[in-house]
Amino acid sequence: MAATTRVGIQEIFTTMEYGPVPESQACALAWLDTQDRLLGHYVNGKWLKPEQRSSVPCHDPVTGENLASCLQAQAEDVATAVEAAKAAFGNWSSLPGALRAQHLTRLAKMIQKHQRLLWTLESLVTGRAVREVRDRDVPLAQQLLQHHAGQAHTQEKALAGWEPVGVVGIILPPTFSFLEMMWRICPALAVGCTVVVLVPPASPTPLLLAQLAGELGCFPGLLNVLSGPASLGPVLASQPGVQKVAFCGAIEEGRALRRTLAGGGAELALALGMESLLLLTDTADVDSAVEGVVDAAWSDRSPGGLRLLVQESVWDETMRRLQARMKQLRSGWGLDGAVDMGARGAAAHDQAQSYVREAQSQGAQVFQAGDVPTDSPFFPPTLVSHLPPAAPCAQGEVPWPLVVASAFRTAKEALAVANGTPRGGSASVWSERLGQALELAYGLHVGTVWINAHGLSDPAVPTGGCKESGSSWHGGPDGFHEYLRPPTTPARLPCLCEELNYDTFGLAVPSSLPAGPETGPSPAPPYGLFVGGRFQAPGSRSSRPIRDPHGSLHGYVAEGGAKDIRGAVEAAHQAAPHWAGQSPAARAALLWALAAALERRTSALALRLERQGVELKAARAEVELSVGRLRASGAPQDQGHIMRAAGLRGPVLRLQEPVGVLAIVCPEEWPLLAFVSLLATALACGNTLVMVPSGAFPVPALEVCQDMVTLFPAGLVNVVTGDRDHLTRCLALHQDVQALWYFGSAQGSQFVEWASAGNLKSVWVNGGCPRAWDQEAEGAGPEFRLRATRTKALWLPMGD
Amino acid sequence: MVSCLFSPKACVLETPSGPIRRFCGPDEIVCIRITSSGKEKLKDLSWISKIQVNQPAVLRRAEQIQARRTIKKEWQAAWLLKAVTFIDLTTLSGDDTSSNIQRLCYKAKYPIREDLLKALNMHDKGITTAAVCVYPARVGDAVKALKAVGCNIPVASVATGFPAGQTHLKTRLEEIRLAVEDGATEIDVVINRTLVLTGQWEALYDEIRQFRKACGEAHLKTILATGELGSLTNVYKASMIAMMAGSDFIKTSTGKEIVNATFPVAIVMLRAIRDFFWKTGNKIGFKPAGGIRSAKDSLAWVSLIKEELGDEWLKPELFRIGASTLLSDIERQIYHHVTGRYAAYHDLPMS
Repeated sequence: MAATTRVGIQEIFTTMEYGPVPESQACALAWLDTQDRLLGHYVNGKWLKPEQRSSVPCHDPVTGENLASCLQAQAEDVATAVEAAKAAFGNWSSLPGALRAQHLTRLAKMIQKHQRLLWTLESLVTGRAVREVRDRDVPLAQQLLQHHAGQAHTQEKALAGWEPVGVVGIILPPTFSFLEMMWRICPALAVGCTVVVLVPPASPTPLLLAQLAGELGCFPGLLNVLSGPASLGPVLASQPGVQKVAFCGAIEEGRALRRTLAGGGAELALALGMESLLLLTDTADVDSAVEGVVDAAWSDRSPGGLRLLVQESVWDETMRRLQARMKQLRSGWGLDGAVDMGARGAAAHDQAQSYVREAQSQGAQVFQAGDVPTDSPFFPPTLVSHLPPAAPCAQGEVPWPLVVASAFRTAKEALAVANGTPRGGSASVWSERLGQALELAYGLHVGTVWINAHGLSDPAVPTGGCKESGSSWHGGPDGFHEYLRPPTTPARLPCLCEELNYDTFGLAVPSSLPAGPETGPSPAPPYGLFVGGRFQAPGSRSSRPIRDPHGSLHGYVAEGGAKDIRGAVEAAHQAAPHWAGQSPAARAALLWALAAALERRTSALALRLERQGVELKAARAEVELSVGRLRASGAPQDQGHIMRAAGLRGPVLRLQEPVGVLAIVCPEEWPLLAFVSLLATALACGNTLVMVPSGAFPVPALEVCQDMVTLFPAGLVNVVTGDRDHLTRCLALHQDVQALWYFGSAQGSQFVEWASAGNLKSVWVNGGCPRAWDQEAEGAGPEFRLRATRTKALWLPMGD
Repeated sequence: MVSCLFSPKACVLETPSGPIRRFCGPDEIVCIRITSSGKEKLKDLSWISKIQVNQPAVLRRAEQIQARRTIKKEWQAAWLLKAVTFIDLTTLSGDDTSSNIQRLCYKAKYPIREDLLKALNMHDKGITTAAVCVYPARVGDAVKALKAVGCNIPVASVATGFPAGQTHLKTRLEEIRLAVEDGATEIDVVINRTLVLTGQWEALYDEIRQFRKACGEAHLKTILATGELGSLTNVYKASMIAMMAGSDFIKTSTGKEIVNATFPVAIVMLRAIRDFFWKTGNKIGFKPAGGIRSAKDSLAWVSLIKEELGDEWLKPELFRIGASTLLSDIERQIYHHVTGRYAAYHDLPMS
């Protein structure tokens, strides 16, 4: 043996090749042996291995060696786990934050003590390069616990009155790092929730983490982990007591889950898709940007593929550098200390392969460094270029480890192309011109933007997305809010109506006929829909009668329909860029002007309300309160803030951007106050609106519109009257409405949730429960502002 | 990083063959680039101002690259022996005398204990360091000492007012000529930092051209003293100018600055070398110096070259490590690899 190695040294001396640096898998195997190579579930602080369950083998993705069998959970196991979490919730949530913080810190220490086991197991089972797991994932897991422990310590003071939502269900996709779980369980546990995690079969690391947490004693049901098929997701979500479900995974699965869970008792938070975007301008440091591409797609820290936009003038240079760099990347066994990319299993391999084939057949050029045998478990780093933009797979999500490159001419065009995909996860901008970089960063519709860097993350910085990437957040203050219920808001109750027919809900509009003499006051408010800054006749050319509480005809309002909604959304989109670009002070000035105008109308409005059966005194109070709400939302507000991330020189900005075009279906009750309260916050945050006022009494809203004609730019607020179910349907199914707030019936809420799966717009529904709009907490609480804005984390590394 | 300086086709030069590849005829490079529109443009270095280097991104890359490649066992031994052949074994002290120069030269010839090499079956590979590097006044001593041990490795001399370069151009040029006369075949010159910091790129180019001429047949290694250049962008620009002016090597630092050879600086210089190669077809060497003391460091540097420039740069003609104490640590590691024990200081001969 000695002789052969000696010869080896001479050979290596000549070739200067890298050698294997295998890390021992012994401790991972020993841990699997303690379970007799049969993994069950970890529930209520102990292993749960029910009889008569099918099992799934867990393979080493490179060698195919069978490492263990994993039992598949069934519905009753899910129920057991949720019961355990429910039982633990009482004690855990009533614990002072400081004690919860201590417990989380102990878990962080526990991870530290067993980190080798953790990284070996994770790398062995997932095939990811051990270096990434050891040097990045495990430390980040500890940092997450530490950070959230700190937050738990101060949370009660900082967010007084906010309550933990309850039992949280977390559903994870087949290809994921255990970090995805940590990002979600840390804030949930910190605020006092307990968790049931459903992991795909054959993922032992979360089970190990649950065991580590369980061995701390004290709170056994805190973290329960089940492994089972994806079909158990809806089962978990519909368990009584589960208040929140966080799903992360493929976009189509998220869509399906959204539809299935419509009207359910659990709020759904989606984090979908893995694709990222890199925008390379001609002023960039191209070599560094190439490293950014490696981080984004060709390493084991990248979750998915990359869309690469390169300015035409540096296209050739970039392609040459990319191809040269690709040749230096090494694929290999995950537990080897000198590889960049491991294998991610057959499914990921096939997905990448089929994308490459499809792209080739649609005219793309494909570059792969080196020759990889077809039966190899490793997929080589791949660069796809010259894919025609109209090709079907140019629209689809780019899988790992692919980079799809295309050229752009100007920064403006780059922005249009980048925002032209339905996804809105993360992006990086590479430019040495600060002005240009910021212009692009602010203009991109994504959740995270890195300038001259890619793929950084930190527990203190919120990570999330918009559009089809889902609107849930983890990390930072936003991650915290996901698992907290605003003050005085009751727990969500299921409003599921089995009979609700999604195909016919709100489809037909009842026809209206003349209904007797009008008794409304004079002057009557202008007739028509308030769209694009003026009152317009409805497309249907028909009207609906409005009656007072005694049943006598008050008057007619226009009957809006699908075409009017279309027009209103278009008008709102036209007004959006200007309004979003206004300074908060300029927005406030307009809101204050509207408040002054309303104040002048106080007596007229009060009389109107009185005719609807409100006492005059109460009516005046409602008007005054409305005026107050307008003024309050114009007052200076928190406009995002600056954070510091570990290991980064320079700030991370947490921007609070408008959601875009926001549709609001106002409640039937409080026809003036609710309308104004909703409008005030939404406008102050920079959104443009399409509003459906109270169906029973839309008149006060129309009165307010009269003032908006002169005060507001056209299209800023559009008010469409008509059949609420029908209008709700039109709005909920509209693909270009970014968010929808619905205050109405339980059935309407269920429909809105179901229909939002189309463009995965963020929705806020009341599930049929009325709100006390005259109470500050429910009529103008912090929740409004959270829902009316979208966070964007903007990373600005500095240095010279 | 660089917008096209000149058409790559027009200036690909024949690479002369030979044991040590010389990048000769620096004039051609610049002239071929220019002549189409007259001699005046020779001084047009305005493109230099467009270069961009993003420091935070380079720092991140530097951090990653050190952790990405681990080398163990036989590979480690072989790589370490290879690293030995890259070393410019250096002594640059005020108290250098002929006796310690002699010892240094002996160590350069026999860098690793013979029995250790035999155990690895590498004793007949002629493993020596790449060169010895001394002050100009000691060149004579070094040449004599090397001759005495029967060794033909080159003697490198620092020059041009090393380490500060703050002497008159005339004396700096004279220093080079004298060192070459004494038998130095490699000259490590320091650049004039003043010219970089005040943006006088043409003047810098002209100075290095004169150094080049003064060297004659000797190799020109240009020390950029990167710790004093202010920014990575300046490092890139200075690297480019030094290569255009005809340097055979570019070298990070003198070892006398506060900050010496660091990975971020190296990454920028290596990228400049690669750009220059892509544009002109000429391979320029790289020499980090200062602060490289442990065997582990040397592995990281070798792997950095392999990653950024590729295997063809892994030879003494294109890669050197300027170091004095590194060799003994490498020898200790080899000792451990062969014997399985950690060496005591007295187990290995001193240099």
